[in-house]
Amino acid sequence: MSTVHKGLTVTVTLDEQKIPYVNGLLSEYRKDLRLYQEKYRKSLPGTFFISWLTLPSQVYQDRETLPARILLLTSYVGSKSRHLKELAAFLAPQLRQVFSQSVEFPSGEPSEEKLVQFLNQKSIPNTFYSGFKFISTAEVEQEAQLKSEVLSYMQKQESLGPASEPATVKKAIESFVSSHPKLHWASGGIPFSSQNKVQMLWPLAAFGLLMLASIVSLIALLFTDALLFRWLAWIFPVFLLITGALFLLLRLNENNPHEPSPELSDEKVREIVALETNPVINEMTVIAPLKKGWVRRVFLALTLKLVGLVAYFAYIPTVHTARWLQMDKGKRLVFIANFDNLSEAYAHDFVDSERRSMNMAVIFSHAFGFPATRWLVHKQYNHRSEYMKGVRAHQKITQFWYSYNRDLSVENLKRNRAFREGLFKKMDDPAIKDWLLTI
Amino acid sequence: MSKLEKEDIQGLLVRGYGNLPSAKYLLYTGSQRKETLDFILQLIPKITPASEKPANEALHLAFTYEGLAFLELPSPVLDSFCREFKEGMAELQRQFVLGDTGENAPQHWDWGNEPLHFLLLVYGKDENQLNETLAGIRQLSDAKGITELYALPTGLLQGQKEHFGFRDDISRPIIRELLSHPPQDPDSTFPAGEFIMGYDNLYDELAPSPTVPPQLDPNNKLPEHRDDSNLKDLGKNGCYLVFRQMKQHVPTFWEYMKANSSDPSAAIGLASKMVGRWPDGSPLTLCPFQPDPSQSDTNDFEYWEQDKAGLKCPIGAHIRRTNPRDHLVTEKSRKDSLEMAAKHRMLRKGRPYGPPLTPELDPEIIMQKADDGKERGLHFICLVTDIRRQFEFVQNNWVNFHKFGGLENDADPIIGNHYQNERRKTDSFSIPEYPVRKIHSSLPNFTHIKGGAYFFFPGIRALQYLTDND
Ligand code: HEM
Repeated sequence: MSTVHKGLTVTVTLDEQKIPYVNGLLSEYRKDLRLYQEKYRKSLPGTFFISWLTLPSQVYQDRETLPARILLLTSYVGSKSRHLKELAAFLAPQLRQVFSQSVEFPSGEPSEEKLVQFLNQKSIPNTFYSGFKFISTAEVEQEAQLKSEVLSYMQKQESLGPASEPATVKKAIESFVSSHPKLHWASGGIPFSSQNKVQMLWPLAAFGLLMLASIVSLIALLFTDALLFRWLAWIFPVFLLITGALFLLLRLNENNPHEPSPELSDEKVREIVALETNPVINEMTVIAPLKKGWVRRVFLALTLKLVGLVAYFAYIPTVHTARWLQMDKGKRLVFIANFDNLSEAYAHDFVDSERRSMNMAVIFSHAFGFPATRWLVHKQYNHRSEYMKGVRAHQKITQFWYSYNRDLSVENLKRNRAFREGLFKKMDDPAIKDWLLTI
Repeated sequence: MSKLEKEDIQGLLVRGYGNLPSAKYLLYTGSQRKETLDFILQLIPKITPASEKPANEALHLAFTYEGLAFLELPSPVLDSFCREFKEGMAELQRQFVLGDTGENAPQHWDWGNEPLHFLLLVYGKDENQLNETLAGIRQLSDAKGITELYALPTGLLQGQKEHFGFRDDISRPIIRELLSHPPQDPDSTFPAGEFIMGYDNLYDELAPSPTVPPQLDPNNKLPEHRDDSNLKDLGKNGCYLVFRQMKQHVPTFWEYMKANSSDPSAAIGLASKMVGRWPDGSPLTLCPFQPDPSQSDTNDFEYWEQDKAGLKCPIGAHIRRTNPRDHLVTEKSRKDSLEMAAKHRMLRKGRPYGPPLTPELDPEIIMQKADDGKERGLHFICLVTDIRRQFEFVQNNWVNFHKFGGLENDADPIIGNHYQNERRKTDSFSIPEYPVRKIHSSLPNFTHIKGGAYFFFPGIRALQYLTDND
């Protein structure tokens, strides 16, 4: 068990002519959601976000038409199989109605079990980032309640004023929490905290160990001729060689003349931003074919794998979740994010910082219309405005969007967690003072 | 660093005209295109360029999108303006972004919904001079059948204050190109392109600017666009001007402070926490316990090292939201915060209007005064090259977003739209304190939007092009 936050991406092809019909269905579900938000929350207890949309066909390398698709992108905590079951149990009619428009859907009326199988078969890997890594849906609520109860308790405590010792204040809070029948759960530690870290970090550790073993073997070969060392010794140099060669090929590809994205009409932008009406969290989906050249596809695939390895250490302010993936044999890049406030504000988190726009180039510079780079990260002229244009030009309308949490920003979630983490933890006075600021 | 073409830039971009204390803002709509063009043509020589430092009067001219359309600018030119400007401040999406809902919604405004065409900003060294200049303008406008829709008065207040009694206009971004000896530290100044079109901005690129296909500029009035030799740059040496008339509810403001404090000095303390400076201007970050008159002009302070938790100047204070300097709660480093904050600055040029509740604007005295029923407030004006990135971003993401900086239900205490509905609560103000933060709730709206519009504030050659376009 763990509370690692993960992404599920299911996609099937769709006859382009059916897009309006499917869009109609999805928009209906979106309308229903206004009435049934609570039902969704109760019936999908492990699901944080759902984006469900159609994607029209797109042209790759000026000649190849990439098919229209249906995309279902969810994020959840817990195991994948439980999540699939949860989706199939609650959304079966909707899943059948929408996916049956695709030829890839099994004929007849598949049972829930078959639906689970179908979703599983049609799911593709993605690189996933979460801004509030190990918080489950239930904990979102619990931790908010914990903090608000403690806040009102503290506001009533006249004896705990500025002259009180930090340790006394902390103790008072802790005894309030342990004696409060509804907050008793907070007396225990945070569940799965070490399992979560292990689950997220082991692929990176395995990769690091493999590379290290290879380097050690290279050295060991100076002294011994053991077969194991001979095999291992290849790995690191081959990895270096392949990445180096890919870099050189990419550099050559970067010399292709830059083709900017056609600017999205004001009308279209209005249509997109008109859906961003949620007071706290909104969503954005960007799907673009890649630039010409197989090296882009391979390089991006490798990059996404490496980004996935270090996702634990990544930080994107104001983002609840983000994911990147390739579809159609790597020819399309999909990016979706759930973030605080509006997309306009969110986009600035990237383009305003030199460092982050460099990081962003590592992935987005492979997509058609995005700015030209040199050696992947070095910018060429009009970097910022071309990024903003590129994002808008490839932004898609997400017909159905659901969010379990609608009221708390990433920073709220993180502070609530920080408060809970500090409870019953040994701290010195300055640390207690810092901790009290999270209330 | 490129040299500013000061003779082509309207002077307001480089000056506040503190030496011209009398001013009026005139909002017009034309009836006949030809006459309106004639009117503008006759005004152009009177426009004050940045190369002059006027001693008696100054005049500036800006256009709404409707105004430019009324002048029949060709559609490729009209289309090249940014979407926010084309839509206008009262449009639905802009309304949403700006948080102009409820009692701040455009349908309650005094002006800004009707077809405004242009704005004249007139400054004089005294009332006589101002009236004289205005009389000249009125003669001309009457002759050309141009309707003056509104003549908005302004009045600078004693001690550079605004109506709540706080010193204003202390923090101003400095344009690097205007300095004869720019400082070593590039972070302390801004490249001209942040505020004047046609120059490099902080992203080392030109701000998006309206353009003209060369065939539509047969008299070659406009300079070539630096990035696209197939276009002429209509924006060069100009910018956008954002105008919001904000009524200030001074008695309500001080009533709230008194009702939530033990005594008058605590009331002033609370109001100062909301602003982020003491009434005399001294910053809370440097003087957390009491004002220090020797610091009332000080703008050289930051938050990361000095006050990260907001124990001195709350994270949600007006000045910390509108310019978070080197500490954005969502950023992990000082450098990232600085980089981000710098990209969302504006040149504030507004002036107060209406009589002060008490002339000396001393909060201790203001708070004793009953409501006199008179209207007063701030004509907020700012100059930017990118409405969306600079003004709207700040207004949306920092002023009105109730989750700014990890807060929960707090919009800007001074200028935020405060309300509660089933999805949003924006009327709290949190003050970080030991042992627990203090929350002031049910803040009424202390300000109220009475009107507003987006304008294009062209360079002087661009003005000539506008009148020359047939
Ligand atoms: C009636 C309305 C307003 C009042 C009473 C008001 C009051 C003040 C005061 C007293 C200051 C401190 C003086 C200074 O640092 O220069 C200030 C600063 C500032 N205000 Fe406002 N303001 C109002 C509207 C606005 C609006 C609409 C915006 C923009 C959205 C804005 C943006 C700023 C900025 C950027 C600063 C400088 C912050 C800094 O650099 O530290 N203000 N305001």
